Amino acid sequence: MHQVADVEVAKNIMDANKRLADKNLKSLEEKGIFCVDFVGAIGSGKTTLIEEIIDNTDYNIGVIAGDVISKFDAERIEAHDVPVAGLNTGKECHLDAHLVHHGLHDLPLDDLDMVIIENVGNLICPVDFELGSHMRIVVVSVTEGDDTVEKHPIIFQTSNVIVINKIDLADAVGADVDKMVADAKKLNPNVKIIASNLKEGVGLDEIIQIIKDKKESL
Amino acid sequence: MHELSMAQGIINAVLETAESNNATEVTEVTVEIGRLAMINPEQLQFMLGVLVENTIMEDAKVSIEDVPAEIECEDCNFKGVAILDESDHYAPLVKCPECDSLKVEVLNGKDIVVKNIIIEKPDDT
Repeated sequence: MHQVADVEVAKNIMDANKRLADKNLKSLEEKGIFCVDFVGAIGSGKTTLIEEIIDNTDYNIGVIAGDVISKFDAERIEAHDVPVAGLNTGKECHLDAHLVHHGLHDLPLDDLDMVIIENVGNLICPVDFELGSHMRIVVVSVTEGDDTVEKHPIIFQTSNVIVINKIDLADAVGADVDKMVADAKKLNPNVKIIASNLKEGVGLDEIIQIIKDKKESL
Repeated sequence: MHELSMAQGIINAVLETAESNNATEVTEVTVEIGRLAMINPEQLQFMLGVLVENTIMEDAKVSIEDVPAEIECEDCNFKGVAILDESDHYAPLVKCPECDSLKVEVLNGKDIVVKNIIIEKPDDT
């Protein structure tokens, strides 16, 4: 004999990540560390931007470099003489707060005042996963097509800064930078937008200033 | 694209509750998916179907309920269900229904919640 019962579960699957993200942020703040995370498509220029920030600021930076299976980005960043925790997500398309928690354990936090997180190249999945950073910067390149911003509204709506990179290639690929800026402004009226050519350093000072201002405002 | 890990999270939540209630079988599961979660319900159902094999929820019927996006508008202070402009997006633009502003804070609609389950269990002795 058996009976049938309706049982309330009321379990939010996203909660576990949120709780861990809050924990990451708290442990960073206890050590006075500012954290910024970078998202963007594969090849948008995230790693280049991180390299430039390391080379052009005086912060003691540690980097968590997320990648699906390789360590190429981690190795590129290590060449700039900063501690790097390379995280491989394996089958997953995004970093989550749990992986970042492990990454933080691999960094010498007592010696740092800034942690930079580079997410897996993806404009979709990272949206659902807070990591515990103070600021999210999305990097999009004109070579992805000038409709990329309007095609991925949520990541551009939920980021604090939008970097539109490789503007020197806009004519070559037939991309309209002004359209991308207008789309970004429409989606996120509060966002800061920088058009950049990071290979030549265009826009870099502005990006660094935004990070500095945010860090000092906390 | 992360439907696999979400499906595993849902199954863990269901099985934990089922086991603590001495269930012998789970026959129904209701999951709420916020309209702003980057999850495709059909892919999620597919992944659930793969992962439930050889568990007590193997034959459970999974119902997915849509949860609308709720916002607070920074421009006109409206609080409530947002307009989701889905004319050309699967992932919608979130707008204030009063003043059309996109300056909104999302209050609800990003979560994935296992709401309840129907289980079979032995009679109390």
